[in-house]
Amino acid sequence: MLRLTYLYRNLTRNRLRTGLTLAAVALPIMIYVLSMAVVDGVERFLENSAKQLRLAVTQKASIVNPLPAGHRPKIEALDPTRTRLISVCGLRWIGGKIERDPRPLSTLGVDHDTFAATFPDYRLTPEELDVWARDRRALIAGRATARQFGWKVGDRVTIHPSVPPYIPMEFNIISTAEDAEDPITLICRLDYIEERLKEEGWAQGLVNFFFVKCATKADVDYYTVAIDELFAGSTHETKTQDEKAFMNEFITQQFDLPRNLTILAGVTVFVAVMAAANTMSMNFRDRTSEIATLKSMGFSSRFVFTQIQAESLLLCTIGGLIGALGPYIAFMHTRLGNLTVPLIQHLEISPTVVLEALAISVLIGIIAAVWPSWLAMRMKVVTALRSLE
Amino acid sequence: MALPLSYNWRNLFVRKLSTGLTFLLVTVVVFVLAVLLSFSEGIRASLAATGSPRNIIVLKPGSTSESTSVLTPEETNRLVQTPGIAQDAHGRLMISHELCVQTSIPRRDAKGNLANVAVRGVDEVAFDLHEVVRIVEGRRFEPGTQEVVVGRAAQQRYANLALGDEIALGRLLNRRFRVVGVFEAGGSAMESEIWAPRTIVADAYNRHLSSSVVLRLEDAALAGPAMDYINGPAVNLESKTEVAYYKDLSSKTREIVILTTVLITIMGIGAVFAVANTMYAAVDSRRREIAMLRTIGFSKRSIMIAFVVESLLICGLACVVGLAASLSFHGQRQDYLSNATWTVLAYELKVTPRTVLTALALAMIVGVIGALAPALRAARTQVIEALRKA
Repeated sequence: MLRLTYLYRNLTRNRLRTGLTLAAVALPIMIYVLSMAVVDGVERFLENSAKQLRLAVTQKASIVNPLPAGHRPKIEALDPTRTRLISVCGLRWIGGKIERDPRPLSTLGVDHDTFAATFPDYRLTPEELDVWARDRRALIAGRATARQFGWKVGDRVTIHPSVPPYIPMEFNIISTAEDAEDPITLICRLDYIEERLKEEGWAQGLVNFFFVKCATKADVDYYTVAIDELFAGSTHETKTQDEKAFMNEFITQQFDLPRNLTILAGVTVFVAVMAAANTMSMNFRDRTSEIATLKSMGFSSRFVFTQIQAESLLLCTIGGLIGALGPYIAFMHTRLGNLTVPLIQHLEISPTVVLEALAISVLIGIIAAVWPSWLAMRMKVVTALRSLE
Repeated sequence: MALPLSYNWRNLFVRKLSTGLTFLLVTVVVFVLAVLLSFSEGIRASLAATGSPRNIIVLKPGSTSESTSVLTPEETNRLVQTPGIAQDAHGRLMISHELCVQTSIPRRDAKGNLANVAVRGVDEVAFDLHEVVRIVEGRRFEPGTQEVVVGRAAQQRYANLALGDEIALGRLLNRRFRVVGVFEAGGSAMESEIWAPRTIVADAYNRHLSSSVVLRLEDAALAGPAMDYINGPAVNLESKTEVAYYKDLSSKTREIVILTTVLITIMGIGAVFAVANTMYAAVDSRRREIAMLRTIGFSKRSIMIAFVVESLLICGLACVVGLAASLSFHGQRQDYLSNATWTVLAYELKVTPRTVLTALALAMIVGVIGALAPALRAARTQVIEALRKA
């Protein structure tokens, strides 16, 4: 009890300094939490990609070059029984914008018949799938994008594609994919795009990539090679990768954000350590005589050591709590959650990151107090008291 | 009367640990600021250097960049009537049909990840029309041959682009092109590209429609009427000055600038607290000294100033060290995949004078704000009490 009272009194003795230190720990922890949330978002995305046992088939030279839609039956013919190779879905990127809004959209046209089988991670309900099959103008809008633009199921939206046919196209939003792993992309039916391409006199029957859903990991490895062999020497050679490798290629080209943010998070933690260590060493300086008195009264070196450690720990943990829970609450329980973030667009702060940040703040507390508490433990009472003024 | 600077200087070394930690902290903050800004400055410099106000780029309406634009011959033919097009020495209209395609080339770094590099198919006229493009090594390609010239930035960032090397281009990567020249373009985005004869590129990629058409005007002032003509019913295509086109592409830098601002604000506040902490300690441990200074006649003001100067010394020095450390990144080549063009832009990290000024301003602000409250406390020291306490 005595310890706790002493601890409380010490922290409230210099309220200003306690406040400053709390902030100096809380703010870097906040940066840490936000950076790691972005890194996490990317990783979760990649992990899901790996779990899905999907292959991405692109044109050999560059992802920008289209492939003929006719590749699909040929790939499907590799396994007519559909036991190892479950489904093949062609995708065509049309990007797009809505009228008088500079924000670019990420819209993909897909083979509507195989979309659900290839992308079960969109978790569409049977009712949604029913509408999807019937409505040629169906659009599945990622929930983050839908929220940004204020779209609801049943809305009609007009998108101006960035590629042929270049003419505005009307869509009916049939789902906002609430449980999908990908909260951003807009998915529409390729046959609708083909229809407009035909009307406008553009080349048809082209896709940007195929996604191939496999049954097992072994099948993924097998078809990675088998599909490329199938088209080797043809006029439309392919490059097949598992989905994670495919996605990773994009992400590392965006400033290698996961790696750089991790470095940044490390630097900010370093900043927090220095700020906390600064306070602790000053705290100790201020109380040299007091500690000497405590020791001369018979309190053990261990008591003094643990006392300084505990003070630092408490301070940093509270700072960490503020820094970690602040963004958690702000992004998970307020309107701030709708904010777009570069690369992952939508920030989700997991409890794991919050716990990690707390653990780090505890560590900061320990490290910051190492030097002062060691000094206090080793302090010779006589010398300390003699130097008193 | 002001206190001598040497007083402040010596005081810094009284509390070595505390001063050192604060110094380190401000150094790190300045360093992070300078490095983050060097990214956006580098990209901005590269895109700002691209394009001439006399050049107008024509794209398909609705397309977001050259990579997604397709123009039919029927459409490009409508452009020849555009008012104000300049003529070259032989009296030919300066209209450049350009074909933008891509190829994957490994980076020169250890991992050797593939990058999507832009390949621009152009005719001879492009070299006259894009005035900043200068061959600095080798020569131009011969029209109708499998030769390319590569941008300086591309050559430095991606593998196998030295003079005399062969690279594989084409839809099937089955055409060997020889690198016969290296060009510079004033540090602009075009330096990240590979240029090749248009007809040969069209054949290799089996893509016969142009991506964009660039028109050179007799005078930059004619851009308005020319663009009105092109955007209007006569041509019905989308045109922008080259300068505006590349400026729009630099929207990416906005994201970095926002990120930098947020991070640095948060870190800066942390630094202010650390400085304040250190200065409070400095004030508290020198109560007697301050009282003594007051007794011998130094004014409240000069004592306040002394503490602010002390804090500025720490922050100023830290700023210099932080900036010096960030210079090790200066000139490094980086690249990023533009989500408008789907090609990479290789740029140089740049620590610019603007960055230096920003960092200095930040350090000064941190120093002054951090020292203000402690300095006030110092100035308010009750002389008699402080002396009696001793």
